[in-house]
Amino acid sequence: MENILEKLAYCVENGKINKTSPYPPNMKDQDGADELAKKALEAGIKPDEILENALIIAMAKVGDKFTRKEIYVPQMLMAAKAMNSAMAHLKPFFQSGETKRKGKFIIGTVSGDLHDIGKNLVAMMIEGGGWEVIDLGVDVGADKFLHALDENPDAIVGLSALLTTTMENMKKIVAAIKEKYSASKILVGGAPVTVEYCKKIGADFYSPDPQGAVNYLKQLAS
Amino acid sequence: MYYKTYNIDFNELKLNPSMVETVLGYQEGDDRELVTSLIEEVLTESQGISNIKAEFRVFDNIQFDNETKSVTVNNLNFQVKKIIFTQIKRSDSIALFLCTAGAEIGLRSKKAMQERDFLKGYIYDVVGSEIVEAAADIMQDDLEKMILKNGKKITNRYSPGYCGWDVAEQHKLFQYFPENYCGIQLTQSALMNPVKSVSGIIGIGKEVKNNPYTCRMCELKDCVYRRVREMKH
Repeated sequence: MENILEKLAYCVENGKINKTSPYPPNMKDQDGADELAKKALEAGIKPDEILENALIIAMAKVGDKFTRKEIYVPQMLMAAKAMNSAMAHLKPFFQSGETKRKGKFIIGTVSGDLHDIGKNLVAMMIEGGGWEVIDLGVDVGADKFLHALDENPDAIVGLSALLTTTMENMKKIVAAIKEKYSASKILVGGAPVTVEYCKKIGADFYSPDPQGAVNYLKQLAS
Repeated sequence: MYYKTYNIDFNELKLNPSMVETVLGYQEGDDRELVTSLIEEVLTESQGISNIKAEFRVFDNIQFDNETKSVTVNNLNFQVKKIIFTQIKRSDSIALFLCTAGAEIGLRSKKAMQERDFLKGYIYDVVGSEIVEAAADIMQDDLEKMILKNGKKITNRYSPGYCGWDVAEQHKLFQYFPENYCGIQLTQSALMNPVKSVSGIIGIGKEVKNNPYTCRMCELKDCVYRRVREMKH
């Protein structure tokens, strides 16, 4: 059983989606994350175990490699896709409540800003960390974040910005969220954001890379 | 005021997979098998779906204010801030420009992302950016050649949203062009649609320099683009 989970984690880490996917070339015609997740369930491994002992571990390794600048964005995206193909088999268990996620995470790029690659990378890594992600997209104003919080009051919120000029909107959104939901935890990130700016606008956490955000959420959940 | 409009054929951009791989951060000797065929596929598709247009308009009625680091073009004042002001303050005239790759490539990127084909969505996004930047290069090079004939030079191009210039000022810049010009519309929060579009300012004069834009000019230490460049060294 452990062998299946190890193989599954290896596939996710290396972006092997399914048997027909040509990447990585040294795993051609071998089972990918899709087939191995299915086989793991058929072998009686609980969805929680698949999530904890394969997917989360693999995505954490991917996040660490990215932090250490050992892999490029495309490799990270392939790992996320492989994770998704495995996660598709676990979705029915999440929906039935048999398997619980660690919590909910609302994310969006702030109003005035269309850049979404960084936001997407964070969303993928947090999903790979076992959280349900509610992605509000780009150019998201305070109203939309508050509406999402109205529906998910326990969720943690992530704000992304790439432009120095849209950081001001981040400040406004943090203020609006803290006014209505003072206990809500807010993470901020993006090229122009710093730990000092995070403190200045009253956000709770800043990370320069996706894995830092995953680790912070892990702390909050424990 | 004088102006020039461009309808640019995709093949004029001379984009190739290697250029896109470089933007993705790949270095000499790296295994590119993951991305090369996908980039080729997206570039081939882009030939058929791009609708590349550009225009610049040159204005002589300009004034600079060193106190506010701003420039007034005709009657509208642009608060371009220190970095851009330093580059353009010796200009005799100012070119304002728009350039777009068309709507389709941005839409395909969005669709691929929604379908969780993240890598393809990302490559559409990067290729779309390369198209619009290469098109803006063609427009800028052509402007430079025209200006050189008059013994003048141009600065590099600068866009609202970067180097501290508030993206909201794009609303002012668009006032110099007819509505829906080149098919570009602005949202309330000053974002362009199609997303793969650029607008901006270029300084023109005998005393200006075309300094290449480098990450060292910018204060963003954790920017993903700087990270990609640093990985090359």
